[in-house]
Amino acid sequence: MTARHRSWLTAALAIWALAPIALLLVRALVPSWRYPLLIPDSPALGVLWSADGRRLASAFGTSVALACLTGPVSAVLGFVIARGVARAGTSTRAFATAAALFPVIAPPIALGVGLQVVALQARVSGTLGGVWLAHLVPATGYLTLFAIGVLTAFDVSIEDEARTLGASRWQVLSRVTVPMLGPRLIEGIVLGGLVSWGQLAVSLVIGGGLVRTLPVELLALVRSGNDQHGALAALLLTLPPALALGVLQLGTRRTGAAL
Amino acid sequence: MTRRNAPAATAAVLIALPACVGAAYSFLAAIGLAGPGARGFDLGPLVRVLTAWDIWRGAAWTVTTASVATVVASVLAALVAVSVRGDRLARLFAVLPLAVPHIAAALAALLMFGQSGFLSRLGFAMGVVSRPDEFPALVYDRAGASLIVAFAWKELPYLTLTALAVLATRTDELHDVARTLGATARQTFLRVTWPLLWRGMAPAALAAFAFLIGQYEMPSLLAPSDPMALSLVTYERSVDPNILRRGEAHVLSLMALAIALGVVIAHTRLRAASEPSST
Repeated sequence: MTARHRSWLTAALAIWALAPIALLLVRALVPSWRYPLLIPDSPALGVLWSADGRRLASAFGTSVALACLTGPVSAVLGFVIARGVARAGTSTRAFATAAALFPVIAPPIALGVGLQVVALQARVSGTLGGVWLAHLVPATGYLTLFAIGVLTAFDVSIEDEARTLGASRWQVLSRVTVPMLGPRLIEGIVLGGLVSWGQLAVSLVIGGGLVRTLPVELLALVRSGNDQHGALAALLLTLPPALALGVLQLGTRRTGAAL
Repeated sequence: MTRRNAPAATAAVLIALPACVGAAYSFLAAIGLAGPGARGFDLGPLVRVLTAWDIWRGAAWTVTTASVATVVASVLAALVAVSVRGDRLARLFAVLPLAVPHIAAALAALLMFGQSGFLSRLGFAMGVVSRPDEFPALVYDRAGASLIVAFAWKELPYLTLTALAVLATRTDELHDVARTLGATARQTFLRVTWPLLWRGMAPAALAAFAFLIGQYEMPSLLAPSDPMALSLVTYERSVDPNILRRGEAHVLSLMALAIALGVVIAHTRLRAASEPSST
């Protein structure tokens, strides 16, 4: 492929990736966009202080709270489960990996409908706690798969050496394992938070419309014809994953690893 | 079971437990033994779902749109990965949609492909259409055009990253050997790069396909109401005001979970077959 072709391809990819995001940005800034105007009227930022703006702020807070709770807990669960899996024989490891893949691949709506009955029995349906527990199911699956990959390459002989030198289990964990896995743990926490951040179907089914996360609010706004607030919600939803992706790109550039 | 394998087996049970408990409850609810409105053993919901022509049409439509989007995204990902391997900027653009949640991407597609959307306005500016209804219906359409493009847009980064990883780890040495033995660039691509890429990408493509079948966010904004995507019917039934119809949602969930389980098994086998040692 010539350099010219490569430039064309890069330009096409830029349009492919950026055009939808630019469209959301423009729509979030203008109250109305009459047909057939290609470029809309002047922007208005009053949207942020309207009643729908305040609804969005509340939904944003709920989603942040859920992501902040789901990320660390799913990361800890994922790493603890993966630790057992990484040391197992090939067939048991394959079985455990398939078990972790199941809640990841299972359709969220199907998972939600099944879990809804459990949530109703446990009286957590329609509560923030119930939605959080439901988010933990796919997030722990993702994190287990992630941690299996990390721990398969982890050199356990260093832990054994520390134990040989008299370190207790807690000392090995706090002074050897966690510091060595630190960056991967942080990535895992971010990944777990992002899995929770994008959940819609599970939040709808378990939350029963009472727990208003940002994706739930976005869907309600667009269905009620409020595209401007919907676009604003979409941008708010995109921001944290974009930041995470940027940080990851920066990290891979510094370490020379490929993303 | 050896002592070394016991924690792993326990872990496997722990991870799959919530999904399995949910599936078990769904099973009991599907036959009238659990859940709201349960009135004892009743195969009615199961029979109603399995004999409903609309459900089967919706299932076929769901599988078709997911299949087309997976094929489009896989081919594009392979082409992008082969073409932009060393280009950081192009790779950044290729993976950027990863950051956009599905529901946000669906709204962007609605604003882009709707009859009064951006493409329609562009058509007006170019003199191709003079009214919104002259622009083809690409949203809520039976062909699922905007949904397929949106699916492909969201899956392209994941499949591109997979293709790049396959190219980085499996093809360089074989590529060099083929070229040394006199193969042309085209022959090397068709006989070395493409087969390895295809085999390496197959598990990821299968996972993407399974994910798209269960997608709720994008169909909720882009899909037609007839035929109705499986995920939308499932949700509709699960909140049906007629509590007796909610059992049908559980039957549909079990169908979706059975598909997911089949994909997990196929994925595990494909992945084992595509390990470097076996290539």
